[in-house]
Amino acid sequence: MATVIGVDVGGTFTDLVLHDAATGEIRVAKQPTTPSAPELGVLAAVDAAVPPDLLARCGHFVHGTTVGLNALLERRGAKVGLITTAGFRDVLEIRRGDRDDPYDLFWTPPDPLVPRRLRAEVAERVAADGSVVRELDPEGVRQAARLFAAEGVDAVAIVLMNSYANPEHEVLAGEVLRDAGFGGPISLSHDVSGEYREYERTCTTVVDAFVRHRMGPYLHNLERELRGRGFAGELLVTRSGGGALTLAEAAARPFETILSGPVAGAVATARLAAALGLHTAVAADVGGTSFDTALIEDGRLPLLFQGEVVGLPLQSPWVDVRSVGAGGGSVAYADSGGLLRVGPRSAGADPGPAGYMRGGTEPTVTDAALHLGMIPPGHISGGISLSPEKAAEVLAPLAGPTGIDGADGVAEGVIRIATANMAQAVRGVTVERGVDPRGAAIVAFGGAGPLFGCLLASELDVDTVVVPPNAGNFSAVGLVQADIVRSAARTMVRPLDEEALPAIEQLAGSLFERLAEAGAVRELDLDLRHRGQEHTLTVPVRLGEDDVAAIADRFSAAYHRTFGHQLPDPLEVVTVRATTRVVLDSERPLVPAPPSGPAAGGTTRVWSFSGRAWTQAQVVQRESFIGPVEGPLLVVEPTATTYVDAGFTAEAHPSGCLLISRKDGER
Amino acid sequence: MTDIVRTRYTEAHPGLGDGADPVTTEIIRQGLNAAADQMKQSLIRTAFSPIIYEALDFAVAFYDADLCMLAQAPTLPAFMGTLGFCVQEAVDGVGGPGAINPGDVILYNDPYGTGSHPQDAAMVVPVFVEEGEALVGYAVIKAHWLDIGGKDPYCTDTVDVHQEGTIFPGVKLYDAGRLVSDVYRMILANSRMPEMVIGDINAMVAGARTGAEALTALVRRYGIDTFRRCVARMYGHGEALVRSWFERLPDGVYTAKSVIDSDGVNGRPIPFGVKVTVSGSSVTVDLTDCPDQVGGPVNCPLPSTVAAVRIAVAFLAGAGEQPNEGHFRPLELVTRRGSLFHPVRPAPCFMYGIPSDHAIELIIRALAEAVPGSVPAASGGDINALVWWGNREATGEPWADGAPHPVGQGGSPVSDGASALMYISESATRLTPAEVWEARNPWRIERLALAEDSGGPGRHRGGLGLDLSFRVLEDQYLTSALARTALEPWGLSGGLPGRPNRLTVEYPDGREEDFSLKTRIFLPKGALVHLRTGSGGGYGPPSERDPEAVHADLREGYVTLEHAQRHYPHAF
Repeated sequence: MATVIGVDVGGTFTDLVLHDAATGEIRVAKQPTTPSAPELGVLAAVDAAVPPDLLARCGHFVHGTTVGLNALLERRGAKVGLITTAGFRDVLEIRRGDRDDPYDLFWTPPDPLVPRRLRAEVAERVAADGSVVRELDPEGVRQAARLFAAEGVDAVAIVLMNSYANPEHEVLAGEVLRDAGFGGPISLSHDVSGEYREYERTCTTVVDAFVRHRMGPYLHNLERELRGRGFAGELLVTRSGGGALTLAEAAARPFETILSGPVAGAVATARLAAALGLHTAVAADVGGTSFDTALIEDGRLPLLFQGEVVGLPLQSPWVDVRSVGAGGGSVAYADSGGLLRVGPRSAGADPGPAGYMRGGTEPTVTDAALHLGMIPPGHISGGISLSPEKAAEVLAPLAGPTGIDGADGVAEGVIRIATANMAQAVRGVTVERGVDPRGAAIVAFGGAGPLFGCLLASELDVDTVVVPPNAGNFSAVGLVQADIVRSAARTMVRPLDEEALPAIEQLAGSLFERLAEAGAVRELDLDLRHRGQEHTLTVPVRLGEDDVAAIADRFSAAYHRTFGHQLPDPLEVVTVRATTRVVLDSERPLVPAPPSGPAAGGTTRVWSFSGRAWTQAQVVQRESFIGPVEGPLLVVEPTATTYVDAGFTAEAHPSGCLLISRKDGER
Repeated sequence: MTDIVRTRYTEAHPGLGDGADPVTTEIIRQGLNAAADQMKQSLIRTAFSPIIYEALDFAVAFYDADLCMLAQAPTLPAFMGTLGFCVQEAVDGVGGPGAINPGDVILYNDPYGTGSHPQDAAMVVPVFVEEGEALVGYAVIKAHWLDIGGKDPYCTDTVDVHQEGTIFPGVKLYDAGRLVSDVYRMILANSRMPEMVIGDINAMVAGARTGAEALTALVRRYGIDTFRRCVARMYGHGEALVRSWFERLPDGVYTAKSVIDSDGVNGRPIPFGVKVTVSGSSVTVDLTDCPDQVGGPVNCPLPSTVAAVRIAVAFLAGAGEQPNEGHFRPLELVTRRGSLFHPVRPAPCFMYGIPSDHAIELIIRALAEAVPGSVPAASGGDINALVWWGNREATGEPWADGAPHPVGQGGSPVSDGASALMYISESATRLTPAEVWEARNPWRIERLALAEDSGGPGRHRGGLGLDLSFRVLEDQYLTSALARTALEPWGLSGGLPGRPNRLTVEYPDGREEDFSLKTRIFLPKGALVHLRTGSGGGYGPPSERDPEAVHADLREGYVTLEHAQRHYPHAF
């Protein structure tokens, strides 16, 4: 086992987690993020927490970065030129003709990442079956090269029609462009995505070209700085679809990292669920602005293969983490129809909830929790002092317009509505995959997650809540648990019959060849559908073992589970997906909480949601808590407070987790 | 003698919501919207027709036992709030509420109750929380079947409703959970594409049952009495939201007039007008200024006229909320029985979307004076539906496809119009990717491009229309359902008009012919079909356009030098 450092750059803070293989020691550090130069926060965290001799012993440095995402958010990336098939240069701008808000008369799409004058057409055509209808005209590519040179284009995306079925013209166009003197990076669409749907593939390829310009220099610079400090191991970058990429791979395929932000929490939940033997787990990560949830079945991450970021579709694997605007900072208000509403707007970290006494004036979810005694008064980390009085002051004015009884009623309402919003998101990720949430365990983490664990359990009829150690920093643990993962996919629409298997095998072989990685485990998945349908389900396939019937059975079972019925119609293969995985370490310890926490002991006045009344709750220190103890109970630790309602029993689990169970007969 | 009809919302149990807990009300409101969305996702992911999963040509909603709309998932705005009529008729059809049982699925597709054509078939699933207890409400899905008989798969030239498809006037497809095979076999016997239709029926039944279960779970959680009280309060809330917006409008009468190209049969233009009366927080839309019902299929049955009014209002006043019955309470519609906007049997109405879509944009235009700064110039104004079918050369298998196509949007007080977006009545619909088309149909797409110079000139110019060329690789048929091919998209406040919609077929022998409403155009192998969709009208005089914007358009090729010099001489 090697020593691993994980550093995740968030919007506000850069988090570092280190696991020292020699001593078993875990270190955690936090530094403010410098948005304009994120490597500064990374290096500051390293300098603060990792002495040079320890850095020199590190085998892997796993980095979660938002450089790619920020490039898109800020529209600061390469000046990209696009080469398309003649007749199709506007695909990027026409999109799919839909609107983000179907009821907005004035909605206009964001400007295309490549302006029209830099979208060059080339005479050529490949048909859907891969046959060549018209040969590529190399002179068209040379003309494009001259245009790009004159315009000072940094990077070029080449997207030709049906290249998923036959990539020869894209390869040729790339060669001609290079021969014509273009020296910058070239992104070929079949190489980036390999899936059909020309707009989505064009967009993914353009995004790749756009962010590569920033990602490569950033990563190489970071590596140089780390080497200068004595780091001799391998730099890895977290991937949207789970796992991590090598530096070279991340610099070459940066679009695969863009949706990686919320993935670490899901990875950490998956590892925890596997370690505890939880068959179905729901990650419930409540931060300042959002609630992020994901369904983990048998320790597996829920994957999707087309995502979206700032309105741009990406054909890239990503972990299906659903976010809703219900976090600790979410603002409560009375709407013009007289109903109490919560979020999605957030008071953010600055000024934050009113009860933090840092200038906030709007009532938030945290203020409601503070007023109800769910967070004991006093101080929390960061030297923030909590004021229940201030919280009550901002909650009370909502009583009038909504007809709710006083600040108590408003506070209870805010928490109930926030909980219901979170529960809807959980129903979304479970029911859509045919899973009944009642059988799941809720893994509650993030700064405010442990406040909501029991409430979510009540709302969803769930019996078990798990609060991992150091719950406020649990997401960062996912970083040091990454495998090295690479993937490639190719669309091949054809019937699933006996002749399909050799074709799949051949295609898989060529995909795996591109992914060649020593010591890697190979995984193959197929997107399948009933002939006539459009939407697919992805099922794993074991080449050489599975026959057509076995694959069809697996699909039917998945279909039945997801949609509640089965169909006799024949099956069709749509896309072949190859993944390689190098498992770095199968076991890594959970991160324990730091040894000192806030003062605890005695009792405090708290609102019980199950009893709908004020009551007295014990306050205990998480570090020394063993249990079992029946709620109402508050378990406090430096980064979070766990609220255990009446009707639930909490105890410490040998893993370091807090295990909360609903008492028998309380459903 | 005129027969004036006033249509308002469904009123139920005033005062019931007074004591409801506002927090539980908000939780139930969110829960209903989420349950409707579950029903929608289930249908999208299991449907067989691209017209359902890609074009989202369907509606899903919950109604309470009093036929008030509890929630509708956002799909096609064109179906906004129309399912109440068909639930009523479907239930009446099988003998009224006393004749329905848990496990029933009622099939209904009568155009005068659905508001559309027989292809739009509704499945109504009654929801009971406990066996033997009272009905709570209904889960409803209405979706477009590719074919259910009729003289052609898609008709622009019918002369009565009986030519348009087989009508199921409220019959049980499932009776207490058992499939009624007589009805099932009738559906299959009447469809040109029975396999696609079976797939979609299964998806609809599964979706409606998913919805019914979600509604049941929600009611169980809070108990029927609390649920009813909270729902009553929820309707009051929706009403208050919309009224608070209308109150800001100056009282007055606002009118606009326009002309529909043709009824598809006799070719004569059809003039009509809208009159919108704002009084306090109430709005009355009068659509009686129109001819008697016409001989071709452009009559708009009452439910779709109601929808047009609700959509227009939702675009202006909806505040981004998912609507329920309460949102519609401040609205009143006035129609004349036997007219274009309130036809009676057996008037043909297959192309009901043409008058309904036109009315939406005209109502919005009429309100331009009431809400200055909130109304853009005209868009291309139509969904430009094309429907294709044939038998595959190699296998003889029947195939069919159909889709709407995007148009340019009108320039507005704040910006240039967006290029190539779906018309607002189908604003959630997506254009099918050319690569998906080519993998599925015997076509090659030769051009998919923005039409240079097409946007109506103005201070803020109109958005560009789309040029789309299909090369047909096997013999096939096409029905063209284009409207607004004659009327230019209007400019506003001095802006100039955009280009109208146009469809041209270029035959292999070089002959060219234009079509607008035309059923069953034979396309021989090798023909090239050019669809040129309409652009947006301009807003404000072109002479006020920022010269820098003119040069930017020129640089990016949205306009040619000649066009720029003609309309914006001040920039040179």
